[in-house]
Amino acid sequence: MFEQYVKDYNEAIIETDKEAAIAVVEEAISNGVTPEEVVFKIVMPAVEDMMQLVIDNLDTNLAQHFMTAQIAAEITEKMLAQFSAPPEIIGKAVIGSSFGDLHSLGKRIVMGCLKSMMVDVIDLGVNITAVDFVDAAVEHDAQVIAVSSMMMHTATGEEGSLQIRELLHERGLEKKIKLIVGGSPFRYDKELYTSVGADNWAPDGISAAKIICQLIHEVKAS
Amino acid sequence: MIKNYNLTLRTSEQSLETTIPDDLSVRLALDIAGIRVRAACGGIGTCGACTIQTISGEFSPQTLAEWQKIPEQDREKNNRLACQLYLQSDAEVFLANPAPKSNWKSLDLSDWPDYPYPPYNIDKTIYAVAVDLGTTHIRLSLWNRQQNKRIASRHGNNPQAALGEDVLTRLDVHQQRDQELESLMQIIRAAIIEGVRDILQRDMGEIKSILAKVGLVSIVGNTAMLALLSGKDGSQLYDPTNWEKPIDCTADDMDEWQSQWQMPNANIVVQAPLAGFIGSDLLAGLMAIDICSSTKPVLLADFGTNTEIALWDGKQIWLSSVAGGPAFEGVGLVNGLTSEYGAIRGAQKTAHGFTLDVIGEGEAKGFCASGFVDAIALLRDENIIKLSGRFADDDHRAQGYCFAENHRAAILKPADIDAFQRAKAATASAMQLLLQLANIPLSSLSKLWVCGAFGQHLNIKNAQTVGLLPTIEYEHIELFGNAALSGCEKMLLNPENEQLNKKLRDTLQVVNVSHHSEYDDLFINQLRLKPFVEDANV
Repeated sequence: MFEQYVKDYNEAIIETDKEAAIAVVEEAISNGVTPEEVVFKIVMPAVEDMMQLVIDNLDTNLAQHFMTAQIAAEITEKMLAQFSAPPEIIGKAVIGSSFGDLHSLGKRIVMGCLKSMMVDVIDLGVNITAVDFVDAAVEHDAQVIAVSSMMMHTATGEEGSLQIRELLHERGLEKKIKLIVGGSPFRYDKELYTSVGADNWAPDGISAAKIICQLIHEVKAS
Repeated sequence: MIKNYNLTLRTSEQSLETTIPDDLSVRLALDIAGIRVRAACGGIGTCGACTIQTISGEFSPQTLAEWQKIPEQDREKNNRLACQLYLQSDAEVFLANPAPKSNWKSLDLSDWPDYPYPPYNIDKTIYAVAVDLGTTHIRLSLWNRQQNKRIASRHGNNPQAALGEDVLTRLDVHQQRDQELESLMQIIRAAIIEGVRDILQRDMGEIKSILAKVGLVSIVGNTAMLALLSGKDGSQLYDPTNWEKPIDCTADDMDEWQSQWQMPNANIVVQAPLAGFIGSDLLAGLMAIDICSSTKPVLLADFGTNTEIALWDGKQIWLSSVAGGPAFEGVGLVNGLTSEYGAIRGAQKTAHGFTLDVIGEGEAKGFCASGFVDAIALLRDENIIKLSGRFADDDHRAQGYCFAENHRAAILKPADIDAFQRAKAATASAMQLLLQLANIPLSSLSKLWVCGAFGQHLNIKNAQTVGLLPTIEYEHIELFGNAALSGCEKMLLNPENEQLNKKLRDTLQVVNVSHHSEYDDLFINQLRLKPFVEDANV
């Protein structure tokens, strides 16, 4: 029975069918599946499957990326409210679009996936200054700053990631806070992230969530 | 009662089929279709350059001009003047000596109503030019203001499009290399005047003396193009604080510009954009449909690389602009074309499968925007494409769906569907956001105007199937492909233009979707290929 829920949920995700995904979860809950099981055994594995599909470069389309994240975030949020004990949060990240950049959709995918992976993610919004990124990371005790840039000049501009790196360096935070970047300019030049001072990058929102989790583990291990 | 006939045109190199009404001369019909006859007089039979041979069919009788201009031995070989020639049945003609290939074609404005303005009382500078400067196309028309008469119109490609796929790429070029500014500006200016000269040469038979009598040139366009045209730093568009503000596009070199164009008496007016990413082409579109005259809510969508949406709620105009990417202009897709020769502009299901409507009726070279919509909707109807935008079948997922056997250009690729989904989601969710902000239910819209890239060929039912247009009754939806040019013409001719311009600008409420967090949710939900209905709200 449980396998059927997993299968049906995955099918709904692949088909970007939110109503169907929610219906599967509701049915599972009404048949005694716990909210914890829904998140850890249905929602999270489905996100990880999608990550693998994206990494293997199979034919996923952007609609699927958005929907996977959106559905995962919505269901996780609902389920969390019904958890018997507060879940263990693996870490925190602050996320935003770089200074001068109004594109908000890319980071939506990252946020949705992170939520379902028990990462506390704080959305700073769009057009965020370097100082605000770093201040927010310190205030929230975040391990990762994630910066989305959809235009070349916001990806490489001096007031963007470069300045965040400078601030982290000046304030001696480089071991405590890692910097990840993403967005279309980085896809065209796979080494670009190093020249803007980032610790890592991701080619899409789904795999960004995975790399952010890795960075959180790195910081916590050190 | 106007009758339509099929005309087959052959030259030594190609052939073309077109349908023409019996009140349109063969010359004008061919100007629209794209293989042009030679011409130097504007179609009054005085230059004799437009000789064409009739092969079969019935035609209007020979005119006096033809007796005078065509030597007897040529008349005996059924040679006629295309400007004097009208069809009275389906027909075939042969054109031995077509005009050199040109970037410029005439616009088909046959269904445009006359404007209700009085003729201008001007003696000297009686001519005026309206220009709609688009990212991929330039549209323009020349007017005699004394007679309140359009002399001719043209559309052609914007040659600077070759420098980058979309406006932002071009601004990037612009920002990175300052010296490009001058050359970009010159490329655009040269293209516009070339279009004007094409009209003068073919439709008036003289150039320089007419240019001197041009008193007004009114140019509308998107903000980036207008900034480039007037030599302004388009990179100010990059600054988010400029998003809701008009950007200065007044040229500083007016004297030089006038002399470049040989128009010493012309007031060249670059109509100021409405906001960072909302050009004056949208303002012109709003004028074209006279949006404020309606007592009921009206929605307008101007599709393009940037798609602008305007909603009139009876008191004010809510405006926004979203990046559609290249999907609506056909550029940048695997099998995408602008609406050019060889583009699939429509598709239909028949008893024998799918049939394609190809511009010029030759071999299909790819899909233009309206063709994409049909292709995706037809495959959706058959469940070959699922609501998610994915092909149901593994083979199609790998190869795409081929609409004409062994014909790679007629393949609908998964990546192109993906690009389309994003573009339509951006547009549909912007419509939804404005409707929500203005508190207007879809059902109370009295009119939806569809302007821009789709031209007249968008199949509304198919557009509704895939959620590109909201599901409202067909009779409330109107296609208006060249709305911006029409509005620009009104700006030239309407004696009350200034007050109207100001009134429109004063009622604007510019909405930047990135400041509305609910937009993202709307966008994600609109990605599916499902109809856009009232309860599509999150």
